[in-house]
Amino acid sequence: MVSISIRHLTKKFGGQAVLSDVNLEIEKGELFFLLGPSGCGKTTLLRHIAGFYEPDGGAIFFDDEDVTDLPVHRRGTGMMFQSYALWPHLSVAQNVAFGLEERKRPRAEIDQRVNEVLDLVQLGGMGARRIQQLSGGQQQRVALARALVIRPRCLLLDEPLSNLDAKLRMEMRSEIRRICKEFGLTGIYVTHDRDEALSMADRLAIMDGGRLAQVGSPDEIYKNPASRMVAEFIGEANFIEGRVIRESSRPGQYDVDCGFATLRSRPNNDEWRPVQGQAVQLAVRPEAMTFGDVRDSPNRFPGRIISTTYLGATVQYVLQVTDEILMKVCEMNPRDIRVPSRRDDVMGMCSVADLVMLRK
Amino acid sequence: MSTNLSRVVFSSMLIFFACFFVFPIWSTVKSAFLTQSGSFTLEYVSEVFLNEIYRDGLMNAFSIAFWTTVGCLIVALPLAFCYVRFEFPGKTLLNSLVLIPMILPPFVGAIGVKAMLGQAGAVNSFLAAFGLMDPAHPIDWLGEGQMLGIVIMEVLHLYPILYLNAAAALANIDPALEEAATSFGCNPVRRFWRVTLPLIMPGVFAGGTIVFIWAFTELGVPLVFDYSRVTSVQIFSAIKDLSGNPFPYALVVVMLVLSTLIYGVSKWFFGSSSSGGGGRATTARETVVLPMRTGIACACGFALVTFLAVIPHLGVLFLAVAQDWYGTVFPEALTLTHYRDALGHELTLSSISNSLKYSAAATLVDLVLGVAVAYVVVRTRIKGRQILDAMAMLPLAVPGLVMAFGFLAMTRDGQMFDWLMIGENPVLVLVIAYSVRRLPYVVRSASAGFQQVSPSLEEAAQNLGATPERALWRITLPLVAPNLIAGAMLAFAFAMLEVSDSMILAAQSAHYPITKAIYSLISSLGNGPNIAAALGVWAMMFLAVTFISAALILGKRLGALFRA
Repeated sequence: MVSISIRHLTKKFGGQAVLSDVNLEIEKGELFFLLGPSGCGKTTLLRHIAGFYEPDGGAIFFDDEDVTDLPVHRRGTGMMFQSYALWPHLSVAQNVAFGLEERKRPRAEIDQRVNEVLDLVQLGGMGARRIQQLSGGQQQRVALARALVIRPRCLLLDEPLSNLDAKLRMEMRSEIRRICKEFGLTGIYVTHDRDEALSMADRLAIMDGGRLAQVGSPDEIYKNPASRMVAEFIGEANFIEGRVIRESSRPGQYDVDCGFATLRSRPNNDEWRPVQGQAVQLAVRPEAMTFGDVRDSPNRFPGRIISTTYLGATVQYVLQVTDEILMKVCEMNPRDIRVPSRRDDVMGMCSVADLVMLRK
Repeated sequence: MSTNLSRVVFSSMLIFFACFFVFPIWSTVKSAFLTQSGSFTLEYVSEVFLNEIYRDGLMNAFSIAFWTTVGCLIVALPLAFCYVRFEFPGKTLLNSLVLIPMILPPFVGAIGVKAMLGQAGAVNSFLAAFGLMDPAHPIDWLGEGQMLGIVIMEVLHLYPILYLNAAAALANIDPALEEAATSFGCNPVRRFWRVTLPLIMPGVFAGGTIVFIWAFTELGVPLVFDYSRVTSVQIFSAIKDLSGNPFPYALVVVMLVLSTLIYGVSKWFFGSSSSGGGGRATTARETVVLPMRTGIACACGFALVTFLAVIPHLGVLFLAVAQDWYGTVFPEALTLTHYRDALGHELTLSSISNSLKYSAAATLVDLVLGVAVAYVVVRTRIKGRQILDAMAMLPLAVPGLVMAFGFLAMTRDGQMFDWLMIGENPVLVLVIAYSVRRLPYVVRSASAGFQQVSPSLEEAAQNLGATPERALWRITLPLVAPNLIAGAMLAFAFAMLEVSDSMILAAQSAHYPITKAIYSLISSLGNGPNIAAALGVWAMMFLAVTFISAALILGKRLGALFRA
């Protein structure tokens, strides 16, 4: 297993920058996610690590070894492709054995390791099958086995679950994470599915337009998004524009003039000290909002519910605060479902910790 | 494949095309514009237009091409329409049968037509037997009507090209476009004229252009019909009166320019809009299941066309087993001696082995080049790879006669490539000529193969430790093997029956390929035509086996190889 270090990586396709100055440290044994909208450069970055692309600038290190100029077949990564890329003219066992054959291992060792890894992915006894005879989920396991059997220096996964149905996807998530952890694999996993990233990742990077927008643990990124783009990509959020008035009596909390009310908020990172009069953006997750009227809460404002959407586990409301400001509010399985009204008859509330201040 | 290797492949392909495609054409063009002393002249080319015989030849070539195209349209369009829109008994089988003429050499078929349409041939005997004709004054079908014979022969040979193109265009039309027309109150007949026909025009025109150019430059059929008032035959006859004569070159240039013009005009008219209505079909088309009677009528239509198309070759078959076929509908006495004689004749054995040698070598060359070109075009991002692709396909549009003449010109004594002609032995020149002309089939089938095999399969192999070359060898090549085999078979079969290069480049009977041997046998005395026919039957059987195997390997994809 290796740690991976990406330094000042730059790549252009036909004059269009797809990676600009990407710097990233991935630790040994870490399951790291690259998350972002399509075209953000996440797959391009993964394919650089695998060696399919040559960077225009920068370097990639596995531990202390500079692998930037190492051709694909000598890098020793194990990749799982979105399409699985299983070879239709070879059987399951032949597919899995391929990498060991290329490494010129003795036949007996190959057979033994192939059987072991097929057992590991619960395909024991299916070695003689043809690829076309397998279900989508089974093909997925073959692809995983094929990448694992060579004991790769790191495992690269390119949206491996995007072709599976929802139930199978859930199963495979925990399966892949279990195997990675069991073998202490360094894994880099590309996806655009935020649930997948949040539920599986040790750490993740959000990419946007060829840059890293934020790197951190799922929890850090969800709670302290670095930008509006990150906040929106990792979950739903309401945004309110405002200007900083002053630091409040509690250190690290600031009063912000939002026009319709003065709200109290905390910056998205500890080093940032907003100055008086600075234009900022406040973000709050719909599920962090509540209805109610607690006197000494600093963040409460009257409004009216203009729409109600029943989703079973949750109910989503749209709360109109002013003519311009509409906020999404989400209640977990409430006893009474509120109905839209013509008067400002509810109070929206959120805690200071949940109202995050972002730079504009 | 590493970038460097791709560059090497790319540049060597460019050199190959420069030497053996561009240069031959250039040699022809040059010879048409240079006097013996080496100064530029327009005299030869203008003479072509001033000389009544040459002008006549061009006009005749043009009308043969025109009427052949019209004939193909009349035959192919209704068939294509029925195939795409209706369900009828035996549809799949009939769809394959109707393509048979494509693989039957018209050159051989013409021998049969001659036997049947001669003054004492089968048709006249048939008419006389039913009292429809006075036996004392037989109709001379071929005397005045040679051109008719040629047109019929070529229509029966070439309609499958149009059929395939039209069927593809029809199948590509988004049914919603027609449904929309109906919903606005358009009746089916008007809908066909206003919506369907305009949408399939690009496809029909693309096929029509190929047919037109093919017929325009066809050498074999008019040659067998002994029709000398047509450009291709004039060119062929002119090379006999030796290398100093510039007129055949001038004629070839005129032919090339006209062909290119026709090709260019059709591309210009229907250029990029060949998608048949733009975009993917949004709904699936339902084929109409015809009621029993109409269905059978439809099937009979297919069968009739197929039957008509194979009649000339049935004639060849009869001729090959006829002891005596003169003044009767069917041959009187049957014999197998011609087959034996055919195999015993000095010309046939050597020609068969020559053809096998030439064609096998050319096919090998095509396989190597075709895989290389297809790989570079489909799998790499090298600049200018589209040029390579276009070049590899261009031999389809350039008349065989033009190429053959170019090769002749560039291997004359004292020319740059005269070393290709080893003494009088044309083996190298013929192999190169065959391989250039048949390369499109291999490139097309190999490209189709590479496109079907996802690049990620190769990437996965590299990722697991295989070098790019090993990944190509272990993964991609086995997966595209069926395409390569099929493409090679086509190239081989067509090389075996190549007419223009064989006629023009093989000068001595010891080096004759099959086609030239057949031609020289036809005009020889005695049982020559029968032996020629027997040789033709051998060739057709051989072709049939090749194509049936190719069809079995490729399945439905076979048709795609003939589309424009």
